[in-house]
Amino acid sequence: MSVKFKKWRQDEGGIDFIQLIVGLMIISIAAVGTLQALYYGYDQLDFQMRYRKAISIARSHVEYIQGRLHSDYSDKRFSDLQFTAGNLNNPDIKLLDQRDPSRDYDDIYCEVSHGPMVPVNLPDTKGDDYWPISVYVRWSEPGENDVVPIHMVHFAARMVPAGF
Amino acid sequence: MRLKKTNWSRDGGWTFVEAMLSVVIMSIMVLGLTIVLMAFREHLDRSWSIRVMDQYGNDVIERLTHELRNAVDVSVRNSYGNTQEIIISYLDPNYLDRTYKHRWRADLHTNQIKVDNAPIDPFFPPRKPGRGESYQILQFTLTKFGVLTPNPDENREAHFRNQAFLNATYDIRFKVRYNRNAINPGERNWSYEKEYSNRVYLRNKNLPIRNRVD
Repeated sequence: MSVKFKKWRQDEGGIDFIQLIVGLMIISIAAVGTLQALYYGYDQLDFQMRYRKAISIARSHVEYIQGRLHSDYSDKRFSDLQFTAGNLNNPDIKLLDQRDPSRDYDDIYCEVSHGPMVPVNLPDTKGDDYWPISVYVRWSEPGENDVVPIHMVHFAARMVPAGF
Repeated sequence: MRLKKTNWSRDGGWTFVEAMLSVVIMSIMVLGLTIVLMAFREHLDRSWSIRVMDQYGNDVIERLTHELRNAVDVSVRNSYGNTQEIIISYLDPNYLDRTYKHRWRADLHTNQIKVDNAPIDPFFPPRKPGRGESYQILQFTLTKFGVLTPNPDENREAHFRNQAFLNATYDIRFKVRYNRNAINPGERNWSYEKEYSNRVYLRNKNLPIRNRVD
């Protein structure tokens, strides 16, 4: 048995100053770790809210596309042909999250785009049956500096043409 | 080997200096921890209240969106503050040549959204708010596409769309504020506003079935 261990066994109670300091350091480290975990959880809640908002923006854009295909579309209009070709390379920029104005946080914007839309004509029917729609919303979280935003929501839908 | 004995580890108890030092260190730690925990509790309280607001905001938007999707027509008129009354007409599923209506409005006294005078969620605002806490409805509107939008390109876009599209595409906007007024000396008032929105295309408004009720 080592000398140190013998000495510990003979100790009859009480703590010395070194033990107190070590104990306090351990408590401090544990407290910092716990608080960091709580802040991380709070950030995750924020992220989930933005994710939900992104879904809402995607759905709003789908509604816009459905409305246009249904009531404001002509295959003889150049702007409509451009519209159905999609804007994956030239997305719209929209407000995603207006952050706490009392703090020095920047608002978060997202890129909204839709893929090319080609009408589907089912074999047993006459004329176009429906348009498949794909909408993408991309954004960066605070502190992320990627050139291409890494967070994305993809929303798929269909729309029947007018007079269907 | 002879163990080196330091001044800090004696078996004969603590000196006065050691005791005082440990009291000072522990006091600083307890004080720091108390401040951090109080700040964190305030943070959590605010966060919880904002989640409650989010839940309500999203609920209002989802339910109104769902009703508008099934509607054959909608009419809007201005109400108190920056709110509107939204009257939604549906086809009666039993008699397809009849309609019935739902009236949505913001009650600024109770700060609730009501459908035909019944609150859509009786538990908002929370029945037992903390001291100084309150919720306030700032905006409840249904506007045509491009009229009221934070994105200027949508406003421009609206000028290129035809009437059939503009008469059937609506933006819902619902803005709520959470107030947390100061109670104790040294505190400051704090508030947080959030806007919930969605867009709806009223399919039934431009369908042949619409003609049956005109």
